[in-house]
Formats: sequence, structure tokens, C-alpha cells
Amino acid sequence: MKARALLFYRLLVRPMLAEPLRTALTLLAVALGVGVVVAIESAGRAAAGSFRSSLETVAGEADYEITAAGGLPEELLAKLARLPVPISLAPRVEGSGRLAATGTPVRLVGMDLIAEGGRAPVRGQELFEALREPHSIWCGRAVATQPGQTIRLVIHDVAREYTVRGLIEGAGLDSTLILDIGAAQEALRKPGRLDRIEVRLPESASPKVEARLREALPEGVLLRPAGARTEENRKMLAAFRWNLRVLSYIALIVGAFLIYNTIAISVLRRRAEIGLLRALGATRGQVGAAFLAESALFGALGAALGLLAGRLMAEGALRLMASTVDTLYATSSPAPLSFDAAIIGLAFAVGLLVAVASALAPAIEAARVAPVEALARGRYHWERRLAVRRNLVGTLALASAAGLASLGPPLGGKPVLGYLAAVLLIAAMALAMPALIDAVARLNLARLAGVETLIALRGLRASLGRSAVLAGALATAAAMVIAVGILIGSFRETVSLWLEQQLAADFYLQPEAATGAERDATLDPALAAELARLDEIAEVERFRAYDISFNGLPAYLAAVETDLARRWGKLRFLGGQDREAILERLGTGNYAIASEPFASKHGLRPGDILRLPLAGRAAEFELLGIYTDYSNERGYIVVDRDVLLGYLPDPAPTSLALYLQAGADRTSARAAIERACAGREVRLISNAELREEALRIFDRTFAITWALEAIALSVAVIGMAGALLALVIDRRRELALLRFLGAAGTQIRRLLVGEAAALGLLALVAGSALGLLLALILIFVINKQSFGWTIQLHWPAGLLAAALGLVYLATLLAALYPARLAQRLNPIEVIHEE
Amino acid sequence: MALLELEEVSKSYRTDGVTVEALRGVSLEVDAGEFVALVGRSGCGKTTLLNLAGAMDQPTAGEVRIAGVSTRRLNDAALARLRRTSVGFVFQSFQLLGTLTAVENVELPLLVAGQAGARRAALERLDWVGLADLANRYPHQLSGGQMQRVAIARALAASPRLILADEPTGNLDSATAESIVGLLGRIASEQGAAVLMATHSQEAAAACHRLIRLRDGRIEAIEETGRR
Ligand SMILES: Nc1ncnc2c1ncn2[C@@H]1O[C@H](COP(=O)(O)OP(=O)(O)O)[C@@H](O)[C@H]1O
Ligand SMILES: [Mg+2]
Repeated sequence: MKARALLFYRLLVRPMLAEPLRTALTLLAVALGVGVVVAIESAGRAAAGSFRSSLETVAGEADYEITAAGGLPEELLAKLARLPVPISLAPRVEGSGRLAATGTPVRLVGMDLIAEGGRAPVRGQELFEALREPHSIWCGRAVATQPGQTIRLVIHDVAREYTVRGLIEGAGLDSTLILDIGAAQEALRKPGRLDRIEVRLPESASPKVEARLREALPEGVLLRPAGARTEENRKMLAAFRWNLRVLSYIALIVGAFLIYNTIAISVLRRRAEIGLLRALGATRGQVGAAFLAESALFGALGAALGLLAGRLMAEGALRLMASTVDTLYATSSPAPLSFDAAIIGLAFAVGLLVAVASALAPAIEAARVAPVEALARGRYHWERRLAVRRNLVGTLALASAAGLASLGPPLGGKPVLGYLAAVLLIAAMALAMPALIDAVARLNLARLAGVETLIALRGLRASLGRSAVLAGALATAAAMVIAVGILIGSFRETVSLWLEQQLAADFYLQPEAATGAERDATLDPALAAELARLDEIAEVERFRAYDISFNGLPAYLAAVETDLARRWGKLRFLGGQDREAILERLGTGNYAIASEPFASKHGLRPGDILRLPLAGRAAEFELLGIYTDYSNERGYIVVDRDVLLGYLPDPAPTSLALYLQAGADRTSARAAIERACAGREVRLISNAELREEALRIFDRTFAITWALEAIALSVAVIGMAGALLALVIDRRRELALLRFLGAAGTQIRRLLVGEAAALGLLALVAGSALGLLLALILIFVINKQSFGWTIQLHWPAGLLAAALGLVYLATLLAALYPARLAQRLNPIEVIHEE
Repeated sequence: MALLELEEVSKSYRTDGVTVEALRGVSLEVDAGEFVALVGRSGCGKTTLLNLAGAMDQPTAGEVRIAGVSTRRLNDAALARLRRTSVGFVFQSFQLLGTLTAVENVELPLLVAGQAGARRAALERLDWVGLADLANRYPHQLSGGQMQRVAIARALAASPRLILADEPTGNLDSATAESIVGLLGRIASEQGAAVLMATHSQEAAAACHRLIRLRDGRIEAIEETGRR
């Protein structure tokens, strides 16, 4: 054992240390690859962990909860309390608000503090005194730091003062406010209504208890296990996390090419050494294992460094993710980042796995070196002759397989086959690379590009195995950038066009308390009528939305004024359905339309019946049509306002769309609207502002994607630098000979840069072709199956050109140092080295 | 029983559809304590013969026995074990690892075999070839003759009973060559190993006990030099 370790150190570790820069570059590449995976995983966990926050942890674990869209009548609680079963019931009234001072969103939870005395986080003698004052709250640390403080809260469109009576502790409760149930009903405008009833069963409860409870509930009410909401949110976030996770592996895939390259070079250089060791009695297994171990060492060290890098990157990733989650999924306060055993395990697992897997081929090659190679005369041909034609057949086979996979359905709701298609395409490109380089290098470019380029190209061809791997890594990274660039560019353009067409009103009005994801903050119902009386205003359209859950996923139920929507709105329906006909029927009864993400998530088609429990009644709506919508991923079920008011008689709108009279002056109209809203906490947003805001959110959502792309590219460029360094070292004899033959130092430098330039250009051409195909898969398979958006293909030409230019520049920069090294080689020393 | 026995050994290579008969029915025996030279012009099959004799490769036909063990039925791992314990190689171009010091190079076969106490054994061998003082030098700090001595010390490291040398003096001046051949001779006489050396040099061949002339893969003649 000790002998092995010593041998490993002397034969593999020492040479690594002898080339510290190249070793460091390889390690850096692995570390970045692992770091990104670690960062996204831990940030994703923290972001998802936050859902398990205010809603469920306030008073410990319940067993079940009773809910209904639009809330429950208070009488239900009394009715259930009279049941002759041993259950305890805890009513909840919930809503969102904002701190007036900072605008920070907070979660309000109303509970029966006296009845729950023992379990509530609030208790003691002062509770009763505090309850005598109506504006008492208990809150988490993000809201206030000391009891006795006074804070101003915006709830719906009203600001009020509250006194902090005490602080509550607990994971995820930082921005939670607790108040007594009556005060909550009043402040949240939910008189006589409850949002949930938490149910606890005694330990020994028989299944009969649950059955009795179920019997006692009216039809339009949901009894579900406690924590279902958290689960729903997590499930909804799953696609987002899954896709980010997959993107986070790109850098690692690029890293795999580089590990392969490093180990392959290590094997190539050591053929004589390996032959000698075999002559000295080393077995094939020992030789193969040694190279796997060398790679594993890179993997393990890279993973260790990657954990550190991941830790740093996770902070940024979490910030970006949390803001996306807040605006698009559900208001949350991220859980703290934790680097526990699972994350450390993940880092080492992916680091070692990718290292060993990518070293497999070179290690097998090493094991195949015959002992007689130690005795072979002269220099053998290092580079394995690549079976160029056989590889092309493989390319075709892989590409066809990719085509087939891209046609497949989602598996388990995930675009697994889509990702498989992408990986197959990358492999196809990697296999085609040697043939491509071979073909280009054969062209007689001397006249066109000078003798340095010719020699450079011949050099690439001579070391086909090596240059093909490098070009493959760079092409993969470039392809990813192009594909994701096209996806994001197309998506943005689609959204932008949609916004332009969709946002027809001149102004929009929202309660100040409204958050990105929840729709529970509303406006004073009287406001719409007041605004309609203004001279400048032609029409006021009321929109109401509720947060509901549908088939175990969060969704929105919305009500529109159908006749206004017909007159002003510009909904577009999928499959060429007639808009007029649909909207005409929508206003006439229990009909609904649904947004595209909602319909594709639940597999719904026009004609289907949607069953919704509404405030204690079961309602059924026939789905008339599916319309394009890019506002959020949860998706909307939209019904007529009057129809919904029949079930949920709350007239308060979630937002108002204001249409100005033709020819009205915007500035004076705005002033008039603001005057009319004086004293109310509302947000008035112009059409242009709303559009800008939407695109800003869009860009922020994809910022993390860009960051991941940039890192993958950096890994490729780092690999390029490392490999060119190795090239200079291995060809120093040839380079020195060129000097003896009269080449100037600057010519040698140009040779190296020329080689990098040729390689970079090839990689970019191949990467662009691959990137276009990957973009199609991303847009029409992966995105469609994950999120359900229909995206029109657009070419963000400027962006792509800039990205490619940047990559090319980086490649040349990566060649500069190795080229300088080559220029400074002392030819005399090199030739006399042996 | 002879230490090395070749019985009707043939070896052919196939490259690009052409078959080259490197050895054609060679039979010979080398005893323990014997120092034998293998001569013949370039391409006559010397290296091929040494490879087969050293269990580095399998013959196309015939049988090779090292210390009575036939290589025929051995798999790759068993061949490696046989080389480890019974054979020491010396090469024309020394084949020292440039990243290892002299003593570390000598330790190499012992480490490959997983043996303990490699350092002491290696230093003893270096002392035996007269290089105890240069143990910690790197190959590029040594002269050609010194490098070949280190290589010989390495061949002796595991105390093998068969030493094979492929043109060990090919890269050396004649004075240095003489001392290297002398060293190989001492391995046979003092340590009782069988030493088989391929060479071009008349002087080197003349220092051996026996001389085997190869021509086109066949033994042309076997001559006693009378120097036993
Ligand atoms: N690996 C090989 N593949 C093909 N032919 C070989 C190989 N090794 C040796 N030969 C051929 O076998 C013959 C004998 O070679 P070798 O044993 O190296 O001769 P020597 O060592 O006497 O110069 C030569 O014709 C040589 O070209
Ligand atoms: Mg030879």
C-alpha cells in the first residue's frame, strides 16, 4: 500500500507539480464546474425551503387543513367544533402586506390567540392586556427588533400603525406578523371569513375520525394534509429548479472535456514511461488504475475547491433565485444557505464521477500500452490514429437518435428526453470534430493566410485527437451560449410583443400591498366608480384574482368584465379559436378560459369541465378556450366577473385598468387619478412603465442563466489556455528546430496564436451549428414541456455576434501566455536537453 | 536445467497487410552465471528475441521458458509478475525517468512489486555499481555512463536471475562502454545471473562467454569465446 502511494506520488503527482500553472488551470476548471452545481443546488434548496415558512410553522404541526378558494364561512368552524370527535381546530386568516417604511413584503397571520394560548408562540399574562388594544402584533425579526416599537403597515390599499407586543422566533418566520383573528379579519377585509382551519387529531385517532370529519364538510371545501400548500409551491418550483440544475451541469460537462484532455495528454506523454513500468512488471490493471487515480485526484481536489467556490457563488445565486421566486412563484424569505453533508457529498460525487468517467478512455488506452514500447526505437507516433470515417457514421447515428429523442413526450412531467437529445447532439458534434479539423487542415491556405497558419493547421491535424477534444469543449460551451441566447432572446421578444399587444389600457392601478406572486391584496371597491366619474377617463375595467390550488398545484382564479374585455382587450386564443365567439359565451354563465401554461400543466382542452371548490360550494365551469399568456407560470382560470360574484361575493378588485378618453392629456389625467386616490396606498402605473417593469423582471429572471453560461465559457477558455500550454511543452523540440531553421521568435508566437485562432474559429463554426439545433430543442421541447410556453423563434443576431466575438477574443487571449512562453524558449537548451 | 530456454521460437509481425518474420525457429539455452552476446546486423531480430526472452511478448510459435516456467500459458498479469521477479532489463537509451533521482529510479521495480525496504536495497545496488555518492542526482545531472550504471542498478533491484540488455553501449564512448560491459560480466560471475546482451560492438561481444550470431531471424552460428 505504502509502495503504491509512493509510486503514485512520484510518477503522477510530481509531474503535476512540475507544471503548476497547467495543473492549477485544470483544477480551476473542475472547481468552477463543481462550484456551480453546488451553488445552484444549495441556493435552490434555500429558496424552496423558504416556502415552509409562515403558513405552517406558526403554531407547530397540524395534521390536516380545511380550505376553499375564496375562503370559508366562519360558521363552519362552529359546526365542526360541535362534532362528537376528539379533534382540535385552529382557524387562520391570512394575507400579505408591506412595511410602509421599506416596502418589504410581509405575511400576516390571524389566529385565535386566546384559544390557542398554549400552542401559539404568543402567550403569558401580557397577552390579555395586549389583546385589549386592537393594533397589537407579534412579529419576526425582519419586521421589528424590539417589543414596544410602532410600525406602519400597508394592508391592501390602507396604511395603519401597529404596536409590536413581542417577537416570534422560528425558521422562516422572520417576516411573519401574527395578530388576533378578529383584528386580522378587519384589516384584511375578510369579515366573517376564514382562510383555513387547521385540524389536529389526537395521537390515537382512528381512521374513523377523519371519515367523520370528511362527512361533516360541505361539498365545496377541501380537506387535505397539512403542508399541502408547501408541497404545491415546491412542486411548482420543481420545473424551475430542475432546469437551473441541468444548466448548472453545463460547466461541468465542459470541464469533463478538459479532464479528458488533461489525462489523455498525460497518457500520451508517458507512453515510454508506461512501457518501461510494464517491462518492470507493472500489470495492465495497475497502469489503468493509476491514471484513473490521477483523474480522481483532480476530481477530489476540484470538488474541495468547488465547495469553496460554490459557497461564494451560492450567495449570488440565492439572491437572484429568491427574487425570481418572489415575483413569479410565491412570496418567500429564503432559508439560510446550508452546506451540510448532502451538499458536500454532492460536490465530491459529481467531482469524482465526472473525473473518473472522463478519464476512462485514456486510462484504458494507457493500460493497453505494450511493455515492448519501452524498447521501441526512436519516437513512436504519439497521437492515436483516429478512425475518422467510423466517427462520422457514429455522428450520424447519434444525431438521428437525438432527433428521435426530441420527439418524445415528457417523462414524469420532466423533459428528460429533450435533455437526452441535447446530450446526444453534443456527443455527435464531438465525434464529428476530428473529421472537421482534418478537412480544414487539408485545405491549402498558405497563400491565403501565410506560412505560419499553414504550419499551425498542420500541427492541429498532426495532433488530431488532442485538438479535437479542445475544439469540442469550446464548441460545446459556445453552442450552449448560442442556444440559451436564442431561447432567451426569442422568449423576450415574444413576451415583449405580447405585452405590446396585450396591455391595452393607459394606466393600471394596484394596491400598495400587492406582491409579485400573491393576488390577495385588493383595492377599495368604491374606487372604481370614483375614477370612472373623472372627465379624462373613458372606462375602468375591474380585474379580480384569487390564489387557489388546482389538482395539487397553485393557480390563479380570475374574474374579468367580459364585455369590457371584448371591447378593449386583445386576447389571442390558441389553435385559431374565434375570440369573439368565446368571449360572447364567457359572459353568459359557468364558462371559463385558461392561460396556456395552466392548460398545458394540467393537460386541459376546450370542452373540459373544471371543478372548483368555491367558498363552500362546488362550482363547475366549462373550458371554452386557451389563450396565450406570459405573465406567470402558475396560470389563470378566467371567468366572468358577475358569474364569480355569485359564488364569492367580494366586489373588491385586485387591480384596475384605466382607459383614457380619446385625446385626453396623460399628464393631467395622471394628476387627476392621483388626486382621486389620495389617502389610499395605491400604485399607479402607466402602460409603458408596466411593460418596462415586466421586461425588467424577465431580465432578472434570466440573469442567473447568463451567469451560468458565462461560467461554462470561462471553463472552456481556461481549458484552452491549459491545453495550449501543454502543446508548447510537448512541441518545444519542434519549435526549437524551427528556430534553428531560421524562424524568428515572433513567428513562433504567431504560430501558436494562429493555432488557437484556427481552433477557436472551427469550434465556433461547429458550436454555432450545434447551438442552433440545441436552441430548437430548448424552445420547442424542453421549455414547452417544463413550463408550457409557446415561444416564437427570433434571432437575437446582435447578441449572438457579440457573444461569439467575445468567445473568440477570449480564445486568443488564452493563447497569449503560452505563445509568449514558446517565443522565449531557448532553442539551444531545448535541443540539448537529452 | 538452463535458466533461459527458447525452443523453436518464431515471431511474426503484421503491419499494413505485410507479414514480417522477425524470428524463425530459434532455439537456445542460457545458463545461470553465463554471459552471452547476441550479435547481427540491424533488423535481424535481436530486440524481438530479447522481448520474448523477457516475457514482454508472446511468440507466434514455439516456447520460451524462464527458470523452468513456460510463458505460453501465462496471462498478462502473470507475465508481469514473472518479469517483476525474474527479469531485469537494460536499454540502449537508459530509459531513466527524468523526474526521479537515481535512487528513486532504482527503487521503481521494488515499488511496482509493492516491496517494503526499497530504499535500502536500492542504495545497496547503487553502491554495487559504484554510484553510492550520486544517489540523489537527477538523470540530467549524470553522464551517459553513469546513467547506464543507474539503469543496471535498477535491473538488479529485485535480484532477478535473468538480465537482458539491448545494445547497452550503443550510446556510449568506447572507454565507458568497456566498463559497462565489465559490469554486466560481473553480474554473471559474482551474482550468478544469466546475462543476455544484444550488441553491435565487436569489443563488447568479445568480453562474453558465448556469442550467438543472428541473421534474418535465424541463428547463424554459436561461438565459444573461450573466456569462461
Ligand atoms: N512492432 C513491430 N511491428 C512490425 N515489425 C516489427 C516490429 N518490431 C520489429 N519489427 C520488424 O522485425 C524485424 C526485427 O526487428 P528487431 O528485432 O527490432 O531487430 P534488431 O533489434 O535486431 O535491429 C525488423 O524487420 C523489424 O522491422
Ligand atoms: Mg534492436
